[in-house]
Amino acid sequence: MKHFITNRRETLKLLGATGAVAALGSWGVPAWSNGGPGHVVVVGGGFGGATAAKYLKRYNPALQVTLVEPVERFYTCPFTNLYLGGLREFESVGHDYRELKDRYGVNVLHTTAQDIDAAAHTVTLGDGSTLRYDRLVLSPGIEIRWDALEGYGEDAAEKAPHAWKAGEQTLLLKRQLEAMDDGGVFILSAPANPFRCPPGPYERVSMVAHYLKTHKPRSKVLLLDSKDGFSKQGLFMDGWAEVYGDMIEWVSLSDDGRVVRVDADRLEVETEFGERHQAGVLNVVPPQKAGWIADRAGVTDESGWVPIKPATFESTQVSDIYVVGDATVAAPMPKSGFVANAQAKVAAMAIVSSLAEREMPPASWANTCYSIIAPGYGISVAGVYSVQDGAIAEVEGSGGISPRDADPDFRRREAEHAVGWYNAICQDTWGTRPA
Amino acid sequence: MIKSVQNNARALVVGALMLAGTVLSSAQAEEISYNHASMLAGSCFNCHGTDGRYGEDSIPSIAGQPAGVLLAQLIAFKRDETPNTTVMNRIAKGYTEAELEALANYFASIRD
Repeated sequence: MKHFITNRRETLKLLGATGAVAALGSWGVPAWSNGGPGHVVVVGGGFGGATAAKYLKRYNPALQVTLVEPVERFYTCPFTNLYLGGLREFESVGHDYRELKDRYGVNVLHTTAQDIDAAAHTVTLGDGSTLRYDRLVLSPGIEIRWDALEGYGEDAAEKAPHAWKAGEQTLLLKRQLEAMDDGGVFILSAPANPFRCPPGPYERVSMVAHYLKTHKPRSKVLLLDSKDGFSKQGLFMDGWAEVYGDMIEWVSLSDDGRVVRVDADRLEVETEFGERHQAGVLNVVPPQKAGWIADRAGVTDESGWVPIKPATFESTQVSDIYVVGDATVAAPMPKSGFVANAQAKVAAMAIVSSLAEREMPPASWANTCYSIIAPGYGISVAGVYSVQDGAIAEVEGSGGISPRDADPDFRRREAEHAVGWYNAICQDTWGTRPA
Repeated sequence: MIKSVQNNARALVVGALMLAGTVLSSAQAEEISYNHASMLAGSCFNCHGTDGRYGEDSIPSIAGQPAGVLLAQLIAFKRDETPNTTVMNRIAKGYTEAELEALANYFASIRD
């Protein structure tokens, strides 16, 4: 057992060095040990929810924390592209909840949350029972907007997978890639902003191109985009030209890249100005919104996403409900696993502070998103964020993308850092380590 | 268990306050609380593991390193004075020197 409190002796050295008086409340003990008992329910066990549960217990072990997550093994979206590229096994992106249960004493319930009654402060579970909460954390991830793209409903996704939630969809897309003829066209349709993992579609086509270059070199990759620009664009396009020649073609919104209709039976898409494209494998990354339980809680706005108070990530619409991760409106922070984890720590600190009726320290977040263009070829974007004039903003002078003119050794080290990052954040979130 | 830990904490705090009078002789431009430092440090955990303890070939563990060493490294990253840096310069620029000092002290304080 190694919790916050067991570090107190070391902590106090730190306090001595950095300003003891500022750290101590009127009771003469640090703020996190004052929280009275309270019950926090966390819905969703991805990067945001699992982190929130762990850090609630770290910040105040006296809290009762219940995590509601249907699956016993959670597969991350990050690194599924590497699976598609043949760089790792699917099981390597699976994680369990043993650390949360055994080490942190989180009550993990593998069931669904069916409804939320904000007035009564209750969550209704899959078996009809209810949980009462003092504070609720929602980390609901995304929901596909099945009504937003003509021809792309749930049935269509069985033929033209989105693979934007890790699991069966990812495995289906991999099987389709493996079955595709050499010389076929892999088409990816990328959505307008905002959506989960801004660099994701571009890493996806990179990894697909790597697979095809290795196994089916006559094939092509066509990326039809509903945008005129994208995350790390210059770096991606440099890398594509360098590694894959003309295998990957990107068609921007202005060049008629926006897909308006999908025919999943024929693996055909139609763009805005009526052009039709025939695919060998069709990967539609569709428009998205906050996970559906957010609607039930009443925290979404007309955009389908969840507005939050920047300093705490409490919903602006419903008190005592905190929302983290891809579901939130938190630009300029991207919808990434890294950010969901960082937001969850801030929300956990806000909840612990609020239950103890103490002021919370100023919020701070960071993000680093690595993308793999090819084995040994990684790029990144980073940012540090704080609340400035009441809004989330990037700290001036921080962050940015990898240099355009970096040498191969730099790209190789970033590819290694990507793996180090993945292993570390999964350790931090679920306590799991690579097999 | 929690109560006894709190009592211990109180005793330790008194000791720390007495010490603080001497330790704090180097005036800080900005006072950063432990809760604030732990929130700042939370972002570091995403690549260095919980409390900076996770390390492998590409990303080092930073837990329990001497504060002076960590601070010197962080300041060098912030000032772009470390050759062959990939991302730490971009990240360190997001923090004030007082924040970097709080982070160095936080990770130096982690044991085991």
